[in-house]
Amino acid sequence: MAVCTVHTAQSLNSPSSISHLGFSHQIKHQVFFYRRSSGASSRGSRSLMVQCSAGDTVVIGLAADSGCGKSTFMRRLTSVFGGAAEPPKGGNPDSNTLISDTTTVICLDDYHSLDRTGRKEKGVTALDPRANNFDLMYEQVKAIKEGKAVDKPIYNHVTGLLDPPELIQPPKILVIEGLHPMFDQRVRDLLDFSIYLDISNEVKFAWKIQRDMAERGHSLESIKASIEARKPDFDAYIDPQKQYADAVIEVLPTQLIPDDNEGKVLRVRLIMKEGVKHFKPVYLFDEGSTISWIPCGRKLTCSYPGIKFAYGPESYFGHEVSVLEMDGQFDRLDELIYVESHLSNLSAKFYGEVTQQMLKHSDFPGSNNGTGLFQTIVGLKIRDLYEQIAAEKSSAPLEATKA
Amino acid sequence: MATITGVNLPVVPKGVGLTSEPSSRPLALKASSLSCPWKRPIKVASSRKMRSVVVAAAPDRIEKVAESIKEAEEACAGGATSGECAAAWDEVEELSAAASHAKERKKESDPLETFCKDNPETDECRTYDN
Repeated sequence: MAVCTVHTAQSLNSPSSISHLGFSHQIKHQVFFYRRSSGASSRGSRSLMVQCSAGDTVVIGLAADSGCGKSTFMRRLTSVFGGAAEPPKGGNPDSNTLISDTTTVICLDDYHSLDRTGRKEKGVTALDPRANNFDLMYEQVKAIKEGKAVDKPIYNHVTGLLDPPELIQPPKILVIEGLHPMFDQRVRDLLDFSIYLDISNEVKFAWKIQRDMAERGHSLESIKASIEARKPDFDAYIDPQKQYADAVIEVLPTQLIPDDNEGKVLRVRLIMKEGVKHFKPVYLFDEGSTISWIPCGRKLTCSYPGIKFAYGPESYFGHEVSVLEMDGQFDRLDELIYVESHLSNLSAKFYGEVTQQMLKHSDFPGSNNGTGLFQTIVGLKIRDLYEQIAAEKSSAPLEATKA
Repeated sequence: MATITGVNLPVVPKGVGLTSEPSSRPLALKASSLSCPWKRPIKVASSRKMRSVVVAAAPDRIEKVAESIKEAEEACAGGATSGECAAAWDEVEELSAAASHAKERKKESDPLETFCKDNPETDECRTYDN
């Protein structure tokens, strides 16, 4: 939302009032009102200035290999802010963009410079930076951040072609989701917060099997070959983005069940960078210490394989990080609320908000394990970050007038 | 290695969605026309025609995936450069993802909900909150 502050240019005898006006995010200009003072004209005219700072879009980057916009993470995130995110009405039905009241999610596949046939001809995967137009990505994200609407191209996943552009209005929160949000240095500098979803190879394989084995044409070998063929490009271009992310959600096979390869029970680690502005990492019991916690016991009964938490400081690619880890599954509501009551710095607005959000989307995949829990927590953290930035921006012009 | 338990690999004929066709159809039908009923000379009400058209989109997507897998296997088997091989499998991945997303979306759509989203004031969609 663009916050407009009204202040008088000169302070005179007559009292002036400072009031806040809220405008929709579509207003991008400065509005000047002039009012002549009623009464003695010797005092001269006072000018009333209304300044709308519309360039306060918060930009979040999400690096994920799982396709665009429809991913569970996006749905959880937009739900934390309220409102359901939907494709733009009346536009291209194959648009990848999702729009809700506060958030707009842009799929970075829209910045492919080569369409499917082009990539096949050149022998280049979508993971390769040569298939993406980073200059356009940077220009448009910068423009949206400054409060200008842009004409963003559409990559049609159904046909594999680049469709005519659609107009994107600057929202309060812009999320750019895709394979390369942190690849280009300039785009990286525009991000207020970045997240990397790191799925380990075993889990990726298990998930792909679940997804593709029901399809005709796929076999175990073809799924394996598909993962293997993409691996070199993935390791070279996508994986290195991990080191730039402010938060990494790492999904690994469970350690609670020996030799488990179904990928149903997961060990999820939330790696949070220390020292990031407006972001305080979640912790368990005592910040900065190393904790290992199994909540199941006398007060809480869990079914097999149970739940295990760990928390501690670590070093990740040369950065100081705090890692919160969960292994296992939630079976009942009271397990979830019990765990939530012991976590600190969640940035929840009320006790039980995390549980409530998880319950709201209990049909989403990952709602009973660390993936859903940490995605929800990151969503709350982003909301907190947004509110802090918005508060900062609105107090800045007030400070200027007081001087 | 992953254990696959209870996974059904359905082997379905091409005309899978059209099982709703009435059984009173004359049995003297050729096998080929059974699989592509929309090509059959139809002297039925237009509603049946519409039903057959709607289903045609779904097998298309699955066909695309199966085709792309075949192409990818050929591209890699023929000793092609690793770039082409990778690009072919990348396409398979993209198409499989699109197919599974489409299936998910179709599963989620409740006709009443989609209608009410656009017309909340109609009698069927009114909600009372007290």
